[in-house]
Amino acid sequence: MDIDIRDLIDEEDEDNQEEMTAQKVLQNVERAWLNEKFSPEILPHQTDYVECLLEQIKSMEGNLAKLTKTDPKVDLHKLELERIKFVITSYLRTRLKKIESFCVSVLEEEATRSEEDAYLSPAELKFAKEFALNADNHFDTILRHMPHLYNNLDRNKKIIEPNLNSFVFLKCNKHIDSVIIKNTLEGQEEEIVLEDGSQHLMPYSSVAEFVKRGIVQLI
Amino acid sequence: MMHPSEIEFMAENEIIQIVPTFNHAGHVHLICGSYGPFRAGLPLNVPIWVALNLRQKKTCRILAPDWMAVDKLQERLEEEKASKFFTQLPSNFYLEITQMLLTVASEDIPQGNDIKTAVKDLWDLRIAKLRSSVDLFIKEGRVQASLNHLTPMEINSVRPVFPDTLDALMTLHEHINSSDDREDSSQSSIATPSSASFSPSL
Repeated sequence: MDIDIRDLIDEEDEDNQEEMTAQKVLQNVERAWLNEKFSPEILPHQTDYVECLLEQIKSMEGNLAKLTKTDPKVDLHKLELERIKFVITSYLRTRLKKIESFCVSVLEEEATRSEEDAYLSPAELKFAKEFALNADNHFDTILRHMPHLYNNLDRNKKIIEPNLNSFVFLKCNKHIDSVIIKNTLEGQEEEIVLEDGSQHLMPYSSVAEFVKRGIVQLI
Repeated sequence: MMHPSEIEFMAENEIIQIVPTFNHAGHVHLICGSYGPFRAGLPLNVPIWVALNLRQKKTCRILAPDWMAVDKLQERLEEEKASKFFTQLPSNFYLEITQMLLTVASEDIPQGNDIKTAVKDLWDLRIAKLRSSVDLFIKEGRVQASLNHLTPMEINSVRPVFPDTLDALMTLHEHINSSDDREDSSQSSIATPSSASFSPSL
């Protein structure tokens, strides 16, 4: 009997996880979009949510095709789909831009992560690798015609890293007891409490962890 | 970097009341939620983008939000003048919502011009406050600031200049502090996505 009950509970838990409504998924993607827009570095990918939304859009488009054109709700549905597509494309484009800018450092960091906590989706990883390869090939072709001394680019010369200390605006979704901020001006550290719902300006590096866990929203 | 139109896009998700002029018995099941039923003459809540779309097709009338009235806005203005800090506003997107509603549905909102002026006064007052606090912030050399009750559009008005200035200041100070290891010529370049350029220093 015991086992049965436990099985039931497990099943219920799974159900709860799957019961995430389309509305929640949309909100998650919108939040990820804003975070990605404002954070200096690339954030863990949200492919699951994006794929889920894309599927929703597909099935909605299928349903719409069956409706008559005069139905007043057709327009609203179409408009909503366009709005969602805008958010998704803007989100993905922001990520691609970061991958292009910080290609070498993104790939290096990605190599240290396991598959479960990868920051890039498989497609993005493929893109990054190809982009790096193409850039390398391009520089090789040019550098071949340079004096021997300059034939090779070493890693430090081609790497561009995001400035993790750049300042960001943020809103706190939960009370955080302690955030350490490094004050470069005075060479010391400050510790502050972030109240639930409060808005702040501070270096990204101080809150990077909280952004990735979804406790802090960049604005 | 956020374009003002993208903030307007976010503002369009806010909920307002409309009075439809048509009947549609069922709910409309949108991905962002279900809205309805639409009955001629009965007010209901919808996102602003739905309201604007219906209004443009002349199938509804938009009810101005409670705060969008000249006397209410004047009260806010007085409060804002009296307070040293930023006061909490009834809407996080007051400027955008006023702008959108008055553009599309100016006939539905009484005293539209006065509302526009009042909202503009409020905005000007808050932006002036924001600018002087930014000035103070940089002069005092602080690294953290509370920005409670500032709206996204207001924050965006000091971006990217303000954070970029701070970034530059911090980088300069870091270089002064670490002048010992200036010899290290192979320092990697640091950039933000918008200003990043691939420049191998040969």
